[in-house]
Amino acid sequence: MKRTVDVSIPVGPIHPCWKEPARVKCETKGEFVLSAEVELGYMKKGIERIMRGRPWQEVMFLAERVCGICSVIHNMVFIEALEGISSIPVPERAALLRVIVNELDRMQSHILANFSYCYTIEHETLAMYLLDVREKVMDELERITGARVTCAYIVPGGVRFDLRHEDALRLRANLAAIEDEIIRYTGMFENGPMIALRSKRIGILTKEDAREACAVGPTARASGMPESDRRLYHPTYQKLGFVPVSREEGDNFARIMMRFQEILQSIALIRRCLDTLPEGPVRGGGIPGAGEIAYSGEAPRGELSYFIRTDAAGRIVDIAIQTPSIMNIEACCHYMLKGVASLADVPSTFVSSDPCIACTER
Amino acid sequence: MSGYLYEKDLTSMKYDILTSTRHDRMVREIAADIGIPQIKLRRYIMERFDMLLMENLPARYEEGKRQMAYASETERDLRAHLYSRAIPLVTEDEMDRIVTRVKELMESGMPREEAVLAGKNLFRGSILK
Amino acid sequence: MSLLQRVKNFVRSRSIHVAYVDVGSCNGCDIEVLACLSPRYDIEQYGIYVHNNPREADILLVIGAFTPGWEDKLRSVWDKIPEPKAAIAIGNCPISGCLYNRPHTLIDPPVAKHIPIAAQVPGCPPRPTEILSAVLAVAPVVFKDFEVKKR
Repeated sequence: MKRTVDVSIPVGPIHPCWKEPARVKCETKGEFVLSAEVELGYMKKGIERIMRGRPWQEVMFLAERVCGICSVIHNMVFIEALEGISSIPVPERAALLRVIVNELDRMQSHILANFSYCYTIEHETLAMYLLDVREKVMDELERITGARVTCAYIVPGGVRFDLRHEDALRLRANLAAIEDEIIRYTGMFENGPMIALRSKRIGILTKEDAREACAVGPTARASGMPESDRRLYHPTYQKLGFVPVSREEGDNFARIMMRFQEILQSIALIRRCLDTLPEGPVRGGGIPGAGEIAYSGEAPRGELSYFIRTDAAGRIVDIAIQTPSIMNIEACCHYMLKGVASLADVPSTFVSSDPCIACTER
Repeated sequence: MSGYLYEKDLTSMKYDILTSTRHDRMVREIAADIGIPQIKLRRYIMERFDMLLMENLPARYEEGKRQMAYASETERDLRAHLYSRAIPLVTEDEMDRIVTRVKELMESGMPREEAVLAGKNLFRGSILK
Repeated sequence: MSLLQRVKNFVRSRSIHVAYVDVGSCNGCDIEVLACLSPRYDIEQYGIYVHNNPREADILLVIGAFTPGWEDKLRSVWDKIPEPKAAIAIGNCPISGCLYNRPHTLIDPPVAKHIPIAAQVPGCPPRPTEILSAVLAVAPVVFKDFEVKKR
């Protein structure tokens, strides 16, 4: 990239606020950030290269490990892509259980993102409250799937385990507790005057810029693009009557509030699933065959796309994964950070876009 | 102090990004469209773009192609938006200059196809420069 | 044992600063380390403070298989940590490369090739309690009577 000024301040790769390594070189004029350049390569494992030529049974676990935070959606999109190739039907109970697990995963991911933001602006109390709620969500996830992270719950033609009746009751009871706490913390965040000073009108992403950088997920929806939600095109979500929410401000505050709103929305979706959960089998079975497909789903961070080509034995011939973080971090670094008034706002703006370097580089 | 600044040669890592399936397809399409060798386009991209922009290229390319429908006819033929905003191969000023030049040529009586061809040659020249 | 050594032992037993460095994992282990901070596991009740600053750290948690970007950097991070220090490998990745250690991969495990590892916590990912108990088990072994052992 061309140098515009002579002072370039690197932030990272090891930074107290960042959970993962990335290096943002900010070109500054005084404290004013003119542009930012990102240096990656700290997390490049070459997953797509490993996946090629391997049977789907193996790639399924690799797909989950593209991102540990949103592992359920990677599992779901990969398996649904395979189901799309070979037209494997899914029992209705299994489809709803998938939604329940996926929404629980979205909740814990959003809570973690908001925790990171509160931690970055040094509001440690709220951050720790949020981390405590997250443990409750993780408990539910563990009770249903058997693992906290990378649970490999979704398999072609269904899910691994059924939801027992007593677990469903516990899930309902816990959801009520989580909802109460999230509403309380949303109020704390919304009305905190110090939080507003650090968040409002900082790191603004306009709708035009969001479209140009192809921003997705809560980042795009905070800039007024509700149509970017891929859940609108998913048959199970359509059946549940899902309507996305959006905000117009496009600043750090809007992005965090967006995630709080989506957590409440996820709770409502899980309740609706539990209400309409029919009795029946959860594993229909099915063997993936040859074909090619481009399939997208809504990850906690936005649109996740898999482009897969398989052969008759179910081996992955070619695969390309487009993760939401790629677009969101790009929108953050090349549009939001431009014109940030102070270098101190760089980490918080970066964290507000919920960056996941492991997805970005794969 | 240079030990603490750790600037590093990123060429091989950038090449890894640019040779994945979708990036490779995109580079081939652009190279065929502009009419320059792929290897030259790859080197040009690696020299000018940072790694995050490179990761995002396929998504931006698709979106840029979608946005082409809203551009004027001359700009669509030159793919002005695609090559200056979505994939910033040249700066917007440079692209504006090329578009203005093509429009001038057309006003001076040159047939449309020839003028666009001349514009594409200008564009290729500014990349190979 | 000198009085000074006894004071040092006492202070070190309740004040362990931890830094973590991710050298190419899937993020699963990162969030389990973060979960240790939560009030449920409450890492700070044992006197462990997650600081993420190598210059102030006593224990380095290494997460992830080793990617090319870290070739020159992990060593320099390790060198910046003041003595006494220890590194703990969290998860399968730094031990063996886990799922990523296949043909055509870019990683270069194990991490023990690059910096000395004092303890390993296997798991994909390990539970927060396991990470916590590993830190608590390693700390006294490394820090107690450090100056005496060095002589």
